[in-house]
Amino acid sequence: MIALIRPDAWNFPLFLHVLGSVVLFGGIASLAVISLAGLRMPEHATLLRTLAFRTTLLVVWPAYIVMRVGAQWILSREGLDDAPAPDWVAVGLVVADGGIVVILLLTLLSWLALRRARAGVWFAGLAALYLLALGVAWWAMSAKPGA
Amino acid sequence: MGKYEWLLFFHVTGAFLFLGGAVVAWVLGIAAARRERPSEIALLLGLTGTAAAAIGLGMMLTIVFGLWLVFDLEVYDLWDGWVIASLVMWALSGALGGAGGKRDKETRRLAERLAAEADVPSSELAARVRDPVALSLNIASSLLGFAILAVMIWKPGAGG
Repeated sequence: MIALIRPDAWNFPLFLHVLGSVVLFGGIASLAVISLAGLRMPEHATLLRTLAFRTTLLVVWPAYIVMRVGAQWILSREGLDDAPAPDWVAVGLVVADGGIVVILLLTLLSWLALRRARAGVWFAGLAALYLLALGVAWWAMSAKPGA
Repeated sequence: MGKYEWLLFFHVTGAFLFLGGAVVAWVLGIAAARRERPSEIALLLGLTGTAAAAIGLGMMLTIVFGLWLVFDLEVYDLWDGWVIASLVMWALSGALGGAGGKRDKETRRLAERLAAEADVPSSELAARVRDPVALSLNIASSLLGFAILAVMIWKPGAGG
């Protein structure tokens, strides 16, 4: 019920976190749509792989930074940054912090895919998997199981 | 997990699909506006169909579960200013996005026709894919969507 009794001072960091999260979700969804289309339509693969690489750099990374900075800010406002994290926060942190590794891999794979078609298959699979992980994170953040 | 948590989860899921879908549409729309070959423009605008489906489903989930939350929680009322503002912005966002999407669909059909003929750049298609009216409608629709997100978080005037 925390959303109902939230102090006003938490609103801006929460807005930043949610804004970054939805843009990150949209960015990763774009990568999944573009890369799966690239596998289905090899005649347009070069165009779609270039678009995937640029989207990773121009949409996914900035959104990730806004999401993670907002998350840390709201955690410190709620006094949860030093205390043991509740389960629902821990799930979000695993998906968010693990996201650095995943997005680094996506960046590397999208760059490699410009040269080697096989990397495009791994890229599409990883983008789809991270999309699912983001779904788990927003379930934990909104439903707060165990809170 | 209680009823409130489930309702909030589906409401938030709708918001992610709505606004995330808008991001996908922008990524593909901007990429299409930077291309010249009709087959490439048709491909990119064709992929926005996935985004449009996500936006439509997301808008339905936000309104159904948002209203359910308002009726279910005593602290909120349908006639609260922030609830009315959100409903008005939701309807405007949908109407403007629908009008922009209709123009984009016509552009995609033109691109598909030109791609099937000779697939050479066309000045008419170049103008249509950068149509300032469609662009303005889509920008206004997306900004309203993100404004709803801000209102949902600040809830100006809410008692809670």
